[in-house]
Amino acid sequence: MKIIVTTKRVTDPDIKVTVNSDGTGIDLQDMTYKMNPFDEIAVEEAVRIKENSGGEVILLSIGPAGFQTEIRAGLAMGADRAIQVEHDDYVEPSVAARIFKKVIERESPDIVLMGKQAVDDDAGQTGQTLAFLLGWPQACFASEISINKNSAVVRREVDKGIETLEVSLPAVITADLRLNEPRYPSLPMIMKSKKKKIDTLSFSELAADIEPRVRYLSMENPMEREGSCVLFEAVDDLINALQTKAGAIR
Amino acid sequence: MLSFNMSEEQTITRDTVARLVKDLIIDTAHEMDEAGNIPEEYIQAAWELGASIAAIPEAYGGYDMDYSPMMNAIILEELAYGDMAFAVAATLPSMFIFPVYEMGTEEQKKKYLPLFCKEAYTPCTCAINEPGFGFDPHKLKTKAVKKNGSYILNGEKCFVPLAKESSHFLIAASCDGENSFFIADAENAGINIKKPERNLGLYSLKTYEVALDNCEIPAKNRLVGNSDCNYDKIIQKSAIAMSAIGTGVSRASYEYARDYAKERIQFGEPIAHKQSIAFMIAEMAYEVEAMRLMTWKAASMLENGKDCQRDSFLARLYAGEMSMKVTDHGIQVLGGHGFIREHPVERYYRNARGVAILHGMAIV
Repeated sequence: MKIIVTTKRVTDPDIKVTVNSDGTGIDLQDMTYKMNPFDEIAVEEAVRIKENSGGEVILLSIGPAGFQTEIRAGLAMGADRAIQVEHDDYVEPSVAARIFKKVIERESPDIVLMGKQAVDDDAGQTGQTLAFLLGWPQACFASEISINKNSAVVRREVDKGIETLEVSLPAVITADLRLNEPRYPSLPMIMKSKKKKIDTLSFSELAADIEPRVRYLSMENPMEREGSCVLFEAVDDLINALQTKAGAIR
Repeated sequence: MLSFNMSEEQTITRDTVARLVKDLIIDTAHEMDEAGNIPEEYIQAAWELGASIAAIPEAYGGYDMDYSPMMNAIILEELAYGDMAFAVAATLPSMFIFPVYEMGTEEQKKKYLPLFCKEAYTPCTCAINEPGFGFDPHKLKTKAVKKNGSYILNGEKCFVPLAKESSHFLIAASCDGENSFFIADAENAGINIKKPERNLGLYSLKTYEVALDNCEIPAKNRLVGNSDCNYDKIIQKSAIAMSAIGTGVSRASYEYARDYAKERIQFGEPIAHKQSIAFMIAEMAYEVEAMRLMTWKAASMLENGKDCQRDSFLARLYAGEMSMKVTDHGIQVLGGHGFIREHPVERYYRNARGVAILHGMAIV
């Protein structure tokens, strides 16, 4: 089974972000970066599939040249090699999907595993867009994956309960939080990752359509929350307050 | 050219340990402290990172990697950031494994290292500290006397982590004016492990007093050392480890107090805006940086084969004093809230007191 896992370098989710002074983006001074946590789950799942049934796990990432620590962290988890498409600026989901499509056509994997969304922009669109562009089946927000010979059975948590899908391969599958708990790579695995290959590609080599479909106009900090939490003894008191104080209902 | 940038593998290791600590330790450390126990699966998870056996050759069960005191210092800081007792417990076998590997004979390594260099965490410990005023690890009161092909050990040890849980000990004793380690089996006659000690901090790490009453140890169990490593070198490595741990505990206190001060509103603004609070937080920040730099300097000298006697002790002395100051500030920033046990700063304060007092609890 040949699996491509896309990994994104994101701003550290544990750092509180603020908008920069000119409102063009977030303040990146002193920022640290991590692999998108949902992608970490996707890497873990791909490595488990490989451990069970053999194959190859390839990481695919778009990011600035020279910054490969987050990719190397995925290799330390057990991926075999990686491809980095070098690009310095923000890449919107539709552009990322078009770039990924070009690489995937070269590599012809059986499965593309992705995080269901990246925690920086929380767009959650790349997996679905990629499946559409490739004309492949998609199974998004997977909480359990089992692989058959030519298909994958994916369980996904939806509002009504657990939905089970079977998709023929090749397919795009995106990982939800409960799919697994990513391993902690051991020191020997981290050291071995140094020797694993990271190929680099440029946008121009891939001849992909990179024209953005979305224009970012401005960015601002969310409004400060006002008020406080009030606890009511009875429902009638709550309704009364909503009518008289908040004017929310009549 | 000096560089303070971490290598890619050091960064990944730090981030991995930080993730483990965030997932397993940060939210449970208080509970562990209250219960006086660390769940085995947490210890096992940290053990599987492989730091304690990384540099041990495969023939003895290790991973045959380059020995890196810098990497070990980075790992210890992150573990101690989560909880100092956890950092000590999870890496304690290193206090047996490293000295045996570095000072032991081929026979000793073959016999003892495979017992502990394996996937499952297997406790073993080291008895260095002794009760009494002004303990100095270079002036051991525990004596070993050679008699008929054995050594007879007599003395008192204290703060021996996991003594009751361990199958083997390294015991530090003075023999004809020279300090050495002796490998002892827990079953060895003359080793009397007393009740768990009731300490100021590190509640979740069980420590014991151990009395040695005519404890007879075969002469072949003495670690004689060699030109590369001797008793003093082990004490230096342990000093660097304690300063890394002190840095981790202090950073935890600093970050908690800093975030609290930014959010706690008094008189209409965050208390961090008050100069008296802001000064304390700034002091905490630079002392943590200074502790880390001294730790890394000593660790880097060790890594490059240089003598670090002076720098390891300066680092430990500084970390011992400053972790007390930083964690004390941590409480002061929180005021009354710092005194109650709902916030972790009181635990950091109690634990940090051990940095200056305890010897041989960890090693780089």
